[in-house]
Amino acid sequence: MDKKWGVYFCTGCGIGDALDIDALAKVAKSEFKQQNCKNHPFLCSKEGIDTIKADIADGVNTLVIPACSSRAKYEEFRFGPGIIVERVNLREQAAWTHEVDDEDTQMLGEDLMRMAMTKVKLTELPEPWQVENLSKDVLVVGGGIAGMTAAMESAKAGYKVTIVEKGPALGGYVGKMYKVAPTKAPYDVLPDNPVPALTKALEDNPNVTVYTGATVESISGGPGTFDVKISGGADARAGAVILATGSVPFEAAKLGHLGYGKFPQVITQTDFEQLAIDGKLKNVERVGFIQCAGSRDSHFLSYCSAACCVESLKQARYLKEQNPAGQAYVFYKDLRAVGKYEYLYKQVQADGTVFIKGEVANIAGDGGKLTVEIDDAILGEKVAVQSLDYVVLANGMVPSTAFGTEPGQTEAEAEAATAKEKTEEDDIPKDVILKSDLLNLNYRQGPELPTLKYGFPDSHFVCFPYESRRTGIYAVGTVRNPMHVGAAIEDATGGAMKAIQCIEGCAAGKALHPRSGDESYPEFAMQRCTQCKRCTEECPFGAINEDEKGNPLPELTRCRRCGTCMGACPERIISFKNYSVGMIGNMAKAIEVPDEDEEKPRILIFACENDAIPALDMAGLGRLQYNAWVRVIPVRCLGSLNLVWIADAMSKGFDGVMLLGCKHGDDYQCHFMKGSELAEIRLSKVSETLDRLGLESERVRFKAINIMDYTLIPSILDDFAQKIDELGPNPMKGF
Amino acid sequence: MSADKEQATPRYAPDFHQEFRKIENGEYASQCMQCGLCAVTCPSREMMDYTPRAFFKLIHAGEKEKVMKANTPWLCTSCYLCTVRCPRGIPIVDVMHGLKHELAQKSSKDGVALLSKVFFKTFMKRGRLFELGFTNGFMMGLGPPKALKVTLKQQDCALDMVKHKRLPFFPPKKIKGAGQLKKIYNKAAALQKEAHKDGV
Amino acid sequence: MANKTILVVGGGISGLSAALEAAEAGREVVLVEKNPYLGGRVTQLHQYFPKLCPPNCGLEINFKRLRENSSIKVYTSAEVESITGEKGNFTVKVNLNPTFINANCTACGKCAEVCPVEIPNAFNYGLDKTKAAHLPHQFAFPLKFTIDTAACPGASCGKCVEACEYKAIDLGMQLETLSLNVGAVVWATGWNPYDASKIGYYGYGRNKNMITNVMLERMAVEAGPTGGKIVRPSDGKAPETIAFVQCAGSRDENHQPYCSQVCCMATLKQTTYIREQYPDAKIYIFYIDIRAMGKYEDFYVNVQKDENVVFIKGKVGEITEDASGTLELEVEDQYAGKIIKQKADLVVLATGMAPPTRDTGVPVGFEVTDQDGFVVSNAAEVGISGAGCAKKPSEVSGSVRDATAAALQAIQGTVGGGN
Repeated sequence: MDKKWGVYFCTGCGIGDALDIDALAKVAKSEFKQQNCKNHPFLCSKEGIDTIKADIADGVNTLVIPACSSRAKYEEFRFGPGIIVERVNLREQAAWTHEVDDEDTQMLGEDLMRMAMTKVKLTELPEPWQVENLSKDVLVVGGGIAGMTAAMESAKAGYKVTIVEKGPALGGYVGKMYKVAPTKAPYDVLPDNPVPALTKALEDNPNVTVYTGATVESISGGPGTFDVKISGGADARAGAVILATGSVPFEAAKLGHLGYGKFPQVITQTDFEQLAIDGKLKNVERVGFIQCAGSRDSHFLSYCSAACCVESLKQARYLKEQNPAGQAYVFYKDLRAVGKYEYLYKQVQADGTVFIKGEVANIAGDGGKLTVEIDDAILGEKVAVQSLDYVVLANGMVPSTAFGTEPGQTEAEAEAATAKEKTEEDDIPKDVILKSDLLNLNYRQGPELPTLKYGFPDSHFVCFPYESRRTGIYAVGTVRNPMHVGAAIEDATGGAMKAIQCIEGCAAGKALHPRSGDESYPEFAMQRCTQCKRCTEECPFGAINEDEKGNPLPELTRCRRCGTCMGACPERIISFKNYSVGMIGNMAKAIEVPDEDEEKPRILIFACENDAIPALDMAGLGRLQYNAWVRVIPVRCLGSLNLVWIADAMSKGFDGVMLLGCKHGDDYQCHFMKGSELAEIRLSKVSETLDRLGLESERVRFKAINIMDYTLIPSILDDFAQKIDELGPNPMKGF
Repeated sequence: MSADKEQATPRYAPDFHQEFRKIENGEYASQCMQCGLCAVTCPSREMMDYTPRAFFKLIHAGEKEKVMKANTPWLCTSCYLCTVRCPRGIPIVDVMHGLKHELAQKSSKDGVALLSKVFFKTFMKRGRLFELGFTNGFMMGLGPPKALKVTLKQQDCALDMVKHKRLPFFPPKKIKGAGQLKKIYNKAAALQKEAHKDGV
Repeated sequence: MANKTILVVGGGISGLSAALEAAEAGREVVLVEKNPYLGGRVTQLHQYFPKLCPPNCGLEINFKRLRENSSIKVYTSAEVESITGEKGNFTVKVNLNPTFINANCTACGKCAEVCPVEIPNAFNYGLDKTKAAHLPHQFAFPLKFTIDTAACPGASCGKCVEACEYKAIDLGMQLETLSLNVGAVVWATGWNPYDASKIGYYGYGRNKNMITNVMLERMAVEAGPTGGKIVRPSDGKAPETIAFVQCAGSRDENHQPYCSQVCCMATLKQTTYIREQYPDAKIYIFYIDIRAMGKYEDFYVNVQKDENVVFIKGKVGEITEDASGTLELEVEDQYAGKIIKQKADLVVLATGMAPPTRDTGVPVGFEVTDQDGFVVSNAAEVGISGAGCAKKPSEVSGSVRDATAAALQAIQGTVGGGN
């Protein structure tokens, strides 16, 4: 595009008082040869905006707006497609946080201008990436309650769906239930099993194709173009995938200490459902339900299976229904009838069910009946509950993703791995991906979704529960997280929403969460690729496959546009139209670094645009004053940090470089999962180089901050500046 | 799994819990979730063998003997604070009352039950208490050997009361409209029964 | 032909999520929020469990999504007056409440500088003061000041009008009404903390060193009313003993019969705030059942490893405070089988969630709430999808899940193939 520039300064909100705007305009005019510079005392006013709009009407298409943060006044400064807009944050980052009418503040303002002008100079308007033969169909893997719901809900919104179910019929675990736990007020009546009606509705729906007794043999491609091979020879193309393979009950055979396998009357929750279906509870007099059979037990499942308390309450009602004189006992640690299930709990108590809190000590035979011995926490003694016809183990759930072998871990391969010398890549913690034979993805990083603790392919995020590590593939129901039936239905409905959104996003050529709507995408200058495989290994989303020679084969609809590949690439061959190694490098180079004798050190900061940048904004809003030596460059994610930036900054004469990004480790906060972690690993590699150059490695530092650490910004920056001052000027300065 | 080899005591036989559910308001005892708010609330808790919460637990555990012998229901002063506060909405006072009623009916020889029964009978007759008649009635109910024992134990107290004219020999006058009182009582009893049928 | 626009009522994490999910699938969305800012309850929290991360991090991503998406129209300081019509074709009246500040506001802060009126800071649950003209909080989105119209003396003062260089203040601003046509509604009005003063025997309001769990969140925030220090409100002293009272108003038929679902985890989370500041403080948690669902169990197990966190099974009865500000809690320790009196320097009531719809209902002309005031789960059938805590007590990820589901139901409601 032919850029026609306009630079629009706002002098309001104290900007004009703090900074010499004419001098800033001079930067644009003389250093960047852009003469169309205008000032306005209230740029976001209608009048101010109209000035800009008038220029746009005259053909201006590249706007530099030195005013406030881009997080403020976003509606006013939105000029539609085809226009490049760069907001220069003079207000929060200069005027409000530094001394008014001061030489250092002015230098900061001018550098902000240089960075922005350089950035815009190197920015191209992205054009959306459109895939060919995009499919808007949804593939649902797993035909249990979650999968069936996801399919039905997608179909109801007008999308075609394919369900692949391993078993001979739809229904899954819930399909084998007599009734289900209530999902609506008054929460104390057990509704009939919804599976038969749902099965019929799906079978009758012309938009739904059901494969039973079938598995997914392979999935290749990416969102919008998933090519699916289904066992039995069928093929399908799908736009998004919903993983709803559910969970399996924890293996009761391991619960020998609770009498399973020893006494035939010790049964599982599943067995009890069958007894209820068969109407066999009529003559059953006493039933004991043992909660947390396997769950909340560090020997078996450390987690709580979340559904079992409600399930046992439901089953206690079965007994009451089929034999009103029957007596149920629930042996529990904490009765977890959360939320509205309190009503069900009360109803079951009203039925006469007795609840005994404690640790079960033993199950004994009792002349054809059973005795449960329990350390009764309330009575404060060990008691024996006798003459039980059945003991039902609430045996919890294990996600279907938790089974399978690790890829590449045949014995020979494992040996080879230990023998291999430790390389740079070994520092990067490996994802856990088991060959669980559910999705069989043709992805370079492994065939299934990476899992978190206990084998659940859950999202790590509280606020974005559907965000899996594989774009366009959403886990729903008990495969994702232990949950009860009602939650699984909700979860599946939401999963269908995400699948549909993924499809529509791909169709529009836009990125999905968290950079939703971004039209830029990474481009690879393949002629310079050395097949080092860093990009294919480090992409947090498995977006890049490899050919036999090790060349990257990016699947762009899988890409989340974080730029981690760009940061990883030692040859710097990966770039976006509006974000590249060269662009950021040149922004840093555009900053004026004063000579040593001026005693004005310079610190370059690469800051995560989601957390660190808003924190800087809030520091500004609070008028917190901080060091004027710092120059901040926002990055999409610290994962996009390319080491050349640091090398260049040091040789340019910067006295220190700081990375401000998100916490990593077990409770990582990076919304691109691995970005800040990778940045710190990369940074550790720099130390050596710095030492070789005779530079102190303390000059380069990673600091984890979160968005609410804004009150700490001054001390973080000032402390670092002081450290740099102590180290003295960068000896490379002036070379 | 507990490692200790402590012998387990058989408890929680369902018969008594089921039996208890059949007495007036007894079914509410099943709804106790063992939070213990009643225990903290009760003004008589220090003197009770078991707090209401612990008492309900014993009912669940089928501890008939402990329940029947406990002073808990008898020390209930019907202040209703527990009932007002119970998070499960259990009409605790009514459960206690139902049990007292049951005990009074079933075991007229039981001291506290008998006392309560005679007290009520005497009271309803005039709308006032006639202490001497009440004492006599209680002694007769107990039967000679027990009555003698109690009389000996209580004689100092009785003599003191006589001295202070607190134990008149003649019955007091009936209150005005004693018949009405009875009607009120009957109506209240009926209402209560009705209300509990709805499970409030 | 069904109207394709979706109305989302409530701009907390649920409403915001529902609006974004629908808009990113290509729908037009109108988002109406009562407060002058988006983010709802979660923006008042210090950290989320179990990750102990700041809620504003995820909110910023959502705000970024919102800034990038021109399909969402946001109205803050606005409330829905009435909804008429039927699924596929609703007419909605929205009241735009006067804030005395118009769109010119640049958040420069001059109005607050000169404003002479101090009011309790509602964002901090009254733990400190703010001006009648104020920025609701530093992370406010949209970044805009507001004026407490009830506290503002109006034209007789007018200092802010003079101070504002941008003609952003209009003390004569009147309520405006807006009429919208939409195909489906997502009702996501969230929750209020249950009013602890209704639990008379705890003496909330009377006992100075008794706070609620939501107030503790504000105290823990570095930029909060106490500078991030958890202290006794009466004297600002560091508490040595802190007692958490679980189910304060929840699982209680005299208050709210249901379990509020988040309070157990909230308390466990808050023990980590205290531990970070006071390594030796003694913490007592009085509970009926500890409900740490699913993988949250790990968090519970970790807190249990802290020797100075004592779990006592028993619902707290009377709480009294002596002249020195020390509180005494009466509770039956059920494991020990006796009544104990526990002293504490600070008592935190784990109050639960009360849906505002209990009092207001949903102004739609037919009943869509249950006995507790929550939107019934099958209301989507009539075009009103409850989302998040408007539907049932839920933690954040559950609310987002539910809101995402509600977004789909709303889309279905606008394709005409809803049933």
